[in-house]
Amino acid sequence: MSEYSKMVKGRFTAGGTSAYVNLPFQPDFVELWNYTNIKAAVAANKALRAWWDASLFDGSNNPTMLEVYNAGSVTAFDTIQTNGISSFYAGLSLQYGPIVAHGGSPVSEFSITAANPAVVTTVGNHGLNSGDVVVFQNLKQTSTTGMQQIAGIAFTVTVTGATTFSIPWNASGSAYTAFNTATSTGNVGSYKKVLYPYLYAPGVSIISNITNGATTTIDTASAHNFVVGQEIAIRIPNVLPSSVQQWGPTQFNSLPNTVIPGSPIYGYVISVTDYNTVVVNINSSSYTSFSSNIPFSSVPGLSWPQIVAVGDVNTGGVQISANSALYPPPYIVPIGTTRVNTINGPAIQGSFFNNTSQGFIIGAGTANTATSVQIMAANDVIEWRAFLHDGSFPN
Amino acid sequence: MSITTTGNLGPMILQSLAPAMLYVPTPTMNYITICDKVSMPPNGGTTMRFMRPRALQPPTVQLGNSGIDPPAQVPQRDIIDAQMAFFGTGCIINEQVILQDQEGVLAWVSERLAVAMRQAEDLILRDYIVSAASQINAGGGSNGDNPTNLGMSDFSLVATTLDTNNAYKFMSGIEGMDRFGTGPVRSAYFMLSSTELQSDFDALVGSGFLNQWNYPTNASALPSEYGSAFNIRVLTSSEAPVARGISANGADVYYNTVVGKQAVTHINQDGYSMNLIYRDPYYSGMLAQNATLAVKFAQAQAITQDTAIRNLLSTRLSSLGV
Repeated sequence: MSEYSKMVKGRFTAGGTSAYVNLPFQPDFVELWNYTNIKAAVAANKALRAWWDASLFDGSNNPTMLEVYNAGSVTAFDTIQTNGISSFYAGLSLQYGPIVAHGGSPVSEFSITAANPAVVTTVGNHGLNSGDVVVFQNLKQTSTTGMQQIAGIAFTVTVTGATTFSIPWNASGSAYTAFNTATSTGNVGSYKKVLYPYLYAPGVSIISNITNGATTTIDTASAHNFVVGQEIAIRIPNVLPSSVQQWGPTQFNSLPNTVIPGSPIYGYVISVTDYNTVVVNINSSSYTSFSSNIPFSSVPGLSWPQIVAVGDVNTGGVQISANSALYPPPYIVPIGTTRVNTINGPAIQGSFFNNTSQGFIIGAGTANTATSVQIMAANDVIEWRAFLHDGSFPN
Repeated sequence: MSITTTGNLGPMILQSLAPAMLYVPTPTMNYITICDKVSMPPNGGTTMRFMRPRALQPPTVQLGNSGIDPPAQVPQRDIIDAQMAFFGTGCIINEQVILQDQEGVLAWVSERLAVAMRQAEDLILRDYIVSAASQINAGGGSNGDNPTNLGMSDFSLVATTLDTNNAYKFMSGIEGMDRFGTGPVRSAYFMLSSTELQSDFDALVGSGFLNQWNYPTNASALPSEYGSAFNIRVLTSSEAPVARGISANGADVYYNTVVGKQAVTHINQDGYSMNLIYRDPYYSGMLAQNATLAVKFAQAQAITQDTAIRNLLSTRLSSLGV
């Protein structure tokens, strides 16, 4: 080993077909073993091990090499040409993946239902995972119809199939027209994946629904990353012109305050249902109902309702759970209720924390020959090693 | 032929190093400018805590003549926490580089590391503000996008929002003077914006935007200040956040951060800010071949007055020259 080379190893149980592994560096070589598939009986189309070298190129691809059980359940070598193993450096916000639009590859078209929740169907596999975040553009079916109201909002996707995913938005109202890139004027319409959506948390989230009551339930378009005890403020903007359907409950706005003029009104999170739903201690029984049925014509200059972290009332660190560290770091919840720890030390729950990181990604790409093989599936135990070498010849 | 040319008697040494290094293009770092500064005390744990008392209800109901006291109020406060994070980078430099290079490599690498650290400090603040401050989409422009390009009404709207929230302005006004082409400048919040929007600001000059060179005096203008509109003074930088191609119509979205005092606080680790670390090759191994040069720092950040900050999102009217 050279003096400055770095190497680390680890193990995890896969939550799906892809994963981010945080390291103190960007590796230039990764190797991993799918222990679950190695231990199991010989079977068709299973990955046994994979390895990747950042300096190996096949044309413009940086492939991942594989050892698999092929379709005949025989051990064979294969490659994943794209979306296999790669390194990442998540240090800057506002980075996006390639545009997915009409005529593209692997997704050549997509449509969005006017439903609750809105469902996106792609022609060609979308390759997304639940918890990924996307943002849409140019959702104009005609000059007056379509779904331009949600263009520009970052949505967490819930994958329901290789070519379908839903977004947490009620588009069933009369103001929405189902959108399809294949039939829209000029074949417009696109979306992009937000590469690192939660580099700093907690933050601001777009509200997708509010359920009024003695306590208030708030749904967000992407993960809120709030904890119980989080102090929050709500912003419900006006829609122009004032004669059209409004978002509704402007009574939530932290200002103005008619009781103590100038003093902002905040609420506290009393329950976290999942990644995009929280219950806050605001009695909204008498408030105006929320509506997402905003007219298409109001889109230029349309501001979205938001919930934003403004503080917390907690005093201790993160509570431990089964198999967790004794002093667990702050975490995010990108999808469902699964906590993803940051690389920080312990902090007060609800504090503002940094979630930047680097390491490697295990992608959901499929093998070149055994085309149904992916590196891993949910619940597979993965053993890995990662390296950053002092020397690499050629670079 | 008897003419001696450089073809048959070339110079023994072909190049000379110019006496001064070329400048390194570096963005203006505006985000640290608007921050309150706080130091985390040594041995103070992982998390900086801020406390802000809440206003008590003004007693506007008269006591009357009953002699009975009104009910007591319960004072309340808001707490804001921010976790400290550590950052660093460095270079491993072989002694042969140091021995053989004609320029002082260690000197200029030290300077670049220091600038990289300061730029990281600013970028972290920038991205934190993008993720944590609530936003208003510009609607006063004419390009039909969402958000639209900036119109004068957007400056007015966001300043009105911060005024209504009782935010504190950074700058007092500049009184008008009898100088051709100048106009008075109002007391103002700062707006941190992109240099890519400067042509849009120029297009608003006839509508009320005042370029910095039209201030009655430039004494209080910051180096990156481009101009002012209503109660906002605009600072521009090429590193201001831009979300490329994500507007409703697929255009670039600019995060124009409008802030009052104490809206954002930058926290450093007391006694730890900016460590430049040089390790002689002596420490590197059996043959002592490699020196290391590195910087590290610690910082946290928090929005300490959420009522005094808004990201005014906009697109652009003018095309970029590039």
